[in-house]
Amino acid sequence: MSGLSMSSILRRSLIHRRTRSFSALIALTVSAAVATALLTLYADLDSKLHREFRSFGANVVVTAPDQAHGLPPDTLKKIGLVTSPDARIAEFGYAVATTDRGTPVVVAGTDFGAIRELNSWWQVDTWPSSTQTDVALLGQRAAQFVTNEHSVQLDFAGHPLTLRGVGKLRTGGDEDSRIYLPLAAFSAWTGTQASVIEIQIPGGASEVEASITRLREALPGMKVEPVRQLVEGESRIVDKTHALMYGAVLLIALTVAVSVLATLSASVLERRRDFALMKALGGTQSSLMAMFLFEALILALGGVVAGYVLGSAAAWTIGKINFHTASWPRIGVLPLVLLLNLVIATLAALLPVRVLRSLEPAALLKGE
Amino acid sequence: MENLVDQGTRPDCAVIALIGVTREYAGHGGVVRALDQASFSIVAGEWVAITGPSGSGKSTLVNLIGCLDRPTQGELVIDGVSTSSMSPAELDRFRADKIGFIFQQFHLIPYLSALENVMLAQYFHSMTDAKEARSSLERVGLGHRAEHLPSELSGGEQQRVCIARALINNPPILLADEPTGNLDAANQKIVADLLRGLHATGHTIVMVTHDPEMAALAQRRIALSHGKVFCHPVNGPVVSLER
Ligand SMILES: Nc1ncnc2c1ncn2[C@@H]1O[C@H](COP(=O)(O)OP(=O)(O)OP(=O)(O)O)[C@@H](O)[C@H]1O
Ligand SMILES: [Mg+2]
Repeated sequence: MSGLSMSSILRRSLIHRRTRSFSALIALTVSAAVATALLTLYADLDSKLHREFRSFGANVVVTAPDQAHGLPPDTLKKIGLVTSPDARIAEFGYAVATTDRGTPVVVAGTDFGAIRELNSWWQVDTWPSSTQTDVALLGQRAAQFVTNEHSVQLDFAGHPLTLRGVGKLRTGGDEDSRIYLPLAAFSAWTGTQASVIEIQIPGGASEVEASITRLREALPGMKVEPVRQLVEGESRIVDKTHALMYGAVLLIALTVAVSVLATLSASVLERRRDFALMKALGGTQSSLMAMFLFEALILALGGVVAGYVLGSAAAWTIGKINFHTASWPRIGVLPLVLLLNLVIATLAALLPVRVLRSLEPAALLKGE
Repeated sequence: MENLVDQGTRPDCAVIALIGVTREYAGHGGVVRALDQASFSIVAGEWVAITGPSGSGKSTLVNLIGCLDRPTQGELVIDGVSTSSMSPAELDRFRADKIGFIFQQFHLIPYLSALENVMLAQYFHSMTDAKEARSSLERVGLGHRAEHLPSELSGGEQQRVCIARALINNPPILLADEPTGNLDAANQKIVADLLRGLHATGHTIVMVTHDPEMAALAQRRIALSHGKVFCHPVNGPVVSLER
């Protein structure tokens, strides 16, 4: 063996007191893991929640002032210009037709591809393709108004139309009493254009408000309304979840910090005689402090490495279970986790050193 | 200063000089005066034994001389430097340079080998040098046990490691608080021989001991009683400073 460096002294010390070192390492791993998991989930929370809310469908509705004339043909294009690219948009035209049983039924022209994305919560057994023109999606109740679900006979103001019923729809709402068909076929048949556009703006209440303002400017004369209940409910839930998450992070971080502090402090204090000896050998306060600090920081770093892996795995699992999509590890949380652990370790090392300073080496080295 | 001359030492040669040094401890049961107005000096190369009953202030005195503790009152001069004006950091540095400690309980770091324990003193003094540390162990007859942990050494061997560590930075003053207190007769003899050798090479040795045989090795005895110092001049009868 050649020299004796601080790192070799520390290595020996850590190995010699392996139980204590291990529990300090565990404590610091737990603190890093908890911080990693919570921060990862926290960062994912917004997008996760909004994704959840997206499945509830539209949050903004644009309506023509005059139902009979429908919306100007360039409305869809204008909406596309003022909303974000991942907004989901679907057009609807409505009319009342009569079935072959003589029952009046609401028929709606739309784009099946678009509503499938917009209303992902709809329960549909088979979606009609968006390329065919003679297909229909029958609301569960509307299906009872026709003689043959697979060959639907309709009449609108003396114009007959036969559609292939491809699938059935169940929402528990008005949709159940409607028959959906492609918009082009609807317009050709009824002579009416789309009169309603439903939009699903991604993001929270503020994004929705901003989009509504832009839409109103872009579409003068149209009615642009939020689906009030949904937007407000969403922001309230997001706010509540944030607050909950914040509270949990603080509480857990505090608990973990206290236990790390206790473990590390005990580990320093149990060596007060070593400390006194080093002092007798000429060690200065700062060199001894550096030694304890270095040891704590090494443990903290080890804790960050292990804790980041464990915490990311925990976040992934929690995301999978609660949101059905995994939270991928975020390298962005690492600096914060590192900082947190280093601060805890530094405090834990410096607090007992302050105590040690007041202990007298003379008293500690005296016989017992 | 006249006091010092009275005690048969020349203050200009003094490597350690105490002038009216008092150390009081503020305990729970009131103030304890562990050392009371101690004034004496020790010249370079002298071997002094400090004796006295338990609780008379021997350890207190040694810790003061070793700059591990500071006087409540009075002045302590070591190697011509007054320690009262030093900052804590200066005192740490001073201690590393001037003092080698030999403890009754050895105080070896359990997870460092004998060699590393010696090197620890180098580490806090200047630079570690394994070769030098090894030769220091050889000097106490433990060259072959350098890689052993303290738990693998006998009490006597541990004390020799402690002495090797005290010597490594070649301090002018060696302080030994009951160096043979935990040792059997055979080991006591080894340690006594080592101290004799060190004295011969010019080290100043201040040694606390209960053992008359050990005390007899020293050139001079300083007796303590209830914190008061009674000096035995070289080859002379007890001279009380008080009465
Ligand atoms: N830290 C302290 N706080 C309070 N009193 C103390 C402290 N250290 C020592 N004393 C008291 O000071 C007196 C001298 O103590 P010291 O340790 O110097 O005795 P000693 O001569 O070394 O005894 P021993 O032979 O038993 O080691 C004792 O009465 C002791 O109780
Ligand atoms: Mg004592």
